[in-house]
Amino acid sequence: MNTPAPANLADRWSDALAALQPASGPAWLQALRQSAAGHFRSSGLPHRKVEAWKYTPLRVLDDLALATDAAQGEAGRAIAMPAPLCDRAAIVDILDGVPAWSAAAIPDGVTLMSLAEGIGHFEERLRPMFEAIELDGPSRAFAALNTALAQQGLLVHVAAGREAGRLLLRWVSLPGTAAVMKQFRLFVLLDHGARLDLVEQYQSMAAVTGGLNVLCQAELGDGAVFGHVRVQAESDQEVLLTSTMLEQAADSSYVYRGFDLGASLARHEITVRLAGPGATADIAGAFVLDGKRHLDNHVSVEHLAAGCRSEQFFRGVLGGRSRGVFNGRALIQPGADGSIVRQSNANLLLSPLAEMDTKPELEIYADEVEASHGATVGQLDEAAIFYLRSRGLDEAAARRMLTTAFCHAVTDRVSGRGLAERIAELLDAAMPTDTDV
Amino acid sequence: MKESEQTMLEIRNLHATVGGKAILKGLDLTVNAGEVHAIMGPNGAGKSTLGYVLAGREGYEVTAGEVLFKGRNLLELEPEERACEGVFLAFQYPVEIPGVNNTYFLRAALNAQRKHRGEPELDSMQFLKLVREKLEILHISDDLMHRAVNEGFSGGEKKRNEIFQMAMLEPALAVLDETDSGLDIDALRLVADGVNRQRSPERAMIVVTHYQRLLEHIVPDFVHVLADGKIVASGDAELALKLEEQGYTWLEQGGIKPLAGANPA
Repeated sequence: MNTPAPANLADRWSDALAALQPASGPAWLQALRQSAAGHFRSSGLPHRKVEAWKYTPLRVLDDLALATDAAQGEAGRAIAMPAPLCDRAAIVDILDGVPAWSAAAIPDGVTLMSLAEGIGHFEERLRPMFEAIELDGPSRAFAALNTALAQQGLLVHVAAGREAGRLLLRWVSLPGTAAVMKQFRLFVLLDHGARLDLVEQYQSMAAVTGGLNVLCQAELGDGAVFGHVRVQAESDQEVLLTSTMLEQAADSSYVYRGFDLGASLARHEITVRLAGPGATADIAGAFVLDGKRHLDNHVSVEHLAAGCRSEQFFRGVLGGRSRGVFNGRALIQPGADGSIVRQSNANLLLSPLAEMDTKPELEIYADEVEASHGATVGQLDEAAIFYLRSRGLDEAAARRMLTTAFCHAVTDRVSGRGLAERIAELLDAAMPTDTDV
Repeated sequence: MKESEQTMLEIRNLHATVGGKAILKGLDLTVNAGEVHAIMGPNGAGKSTLGYVLAGREGYEVTAGEVLFKGRNLLELEPEERACEGVFLAFQYPVEIPGVNNTYFLRAALNAQRKHRGEPELDSMQFLKLVREKLEILHISDDLMHRAVNEGFSGGEKKRNEIFQMAMLEPALAVLDETDSGLDIDALRLVADGVNRQRSPERAMIVVTHYQRLLEHIVPDFVHVLADGKIVASGDAELALKLEEQGYTWLEQGGIKPLAGANPA
């Protein structure tokens, strides 16, 4: 057929979907993939009138194609890998969306599987997780795409009471591959009392044009502890769409430290359901933007049981013509009495042409809730700049010291001194060097 | 010693405005190396403005007059150049800088100054050795060093931190702006003691204060009274006592005449 490709990206992707959908896996999954593809075809991509995507235009996706796994990666090719962000970690390398690891490095009590293996092995647990994902409507387009297409993925299971230690996911895009939007599915299953420190390092060593759509679902059993550090220092041509959804049982705890230092467009969604009493979610992130880069953090925490605690703490530095978005929502459902919820989003604009849209949302339907929220967008404190200069630091050094310090409020919350220091170094290196536009 | 070698600071007919309002209106002052000058005066006389003008704060505009520091035009220098050349202002209200570790900040500042002077930068071992020496001399514990610059410090801790910075940076000219404000008597003694330990033949100090009580602890060589943007009287430490007894009103009523020759020009 010689039909010209549709001008519209959603139409182009819709056309491509049919040929790309995997024909493997259990029947329910095949049906779900079909249904997800159908949702995408009928709803298309999010646009300006979709509230959750209002400030995040998707023009940069125009050059990207959907692809099969065959187009993803050239495994085995010798490429420069970034130094691991942390020591004493079992490492999973994910080159162009294809995971690989050495089984010997995986500690006892921890199970790592590819997505296909995981579905075979944990089908009864994964099926409801797959099916719980909302697929309808343009705001869910990337969840639908991921569900319809993702064949690559990883499952991490930590058995009850086991301490998994650190697991490092090193995401690297290979230069010279086609500009495609890759799909990846990640499952984290922590049985009761299990502990895992997951560190995600998104860092390509060369300029790469491409996109990655990662959907992560985590299930935390009673008293499980999930430490999640996500550092992305992607190249300026890359698009990174990541979404983490958590279901937390009683007294479980999620600790997130996110650092967005690169990518032309990055959006990270965190959706937490504090379903059991005493569950906590401590979510903190920092980002640095320059040029025309765009970053969008969307966090939503739902308190469903009594005595839960959550915090959202984000700091952003914006230079050039960059644009940042923070949407933080906390929803305290009836019965979630005695909840404690804190939200804070502070941003520094280093350039008159940078823009930050911040929207903390708090909805409370329970009793005896302790809540605080605040959002600020401002410039550096001139009194502080003068104080530093009066001690001998030049103006540029003074400004740099203050902007990095502003973000160190988040790096200081990273546990593990070596890891915190390495992140701080990356952060400092990512700081806009001047206020030019 | 030739006069040109020992004159640290020479202020001539200094006029300065803040937000378009004239604050300094023809201030003259000469300070030589090794001397401690106290500047006293009522609120609004221009005491803090003088400190900020000398340190180079933006918004403090010099409209007339000149300031020579070691014979050089101070006013053409950026704040950091003044610091590197040896001018230090101990702030009345030291700025809190969350996220910047006190040790890290001070090492960066000291190394910026050393670099400016063509001296090798100190590595962290050398720096910490120096920190320990200075802390010992000043009888200050090292707990301040592990915290963010001035963040959550008590009034006394902030002032002690200023004096500690001064000890580390070893300025040729230190301007202490209301270093006594907000201090109880014990904190005042500690801070004054820290200042006294830093008196030296090579160093000049200007101690700006509203009250005489600081001068019981830091005994100045000269006392000047600043009123309405000018030095209206100069004398020795006795002048401070007189002011304490009789207040500034008495002065403004013309009860005292400028003492000719007391200003060591």
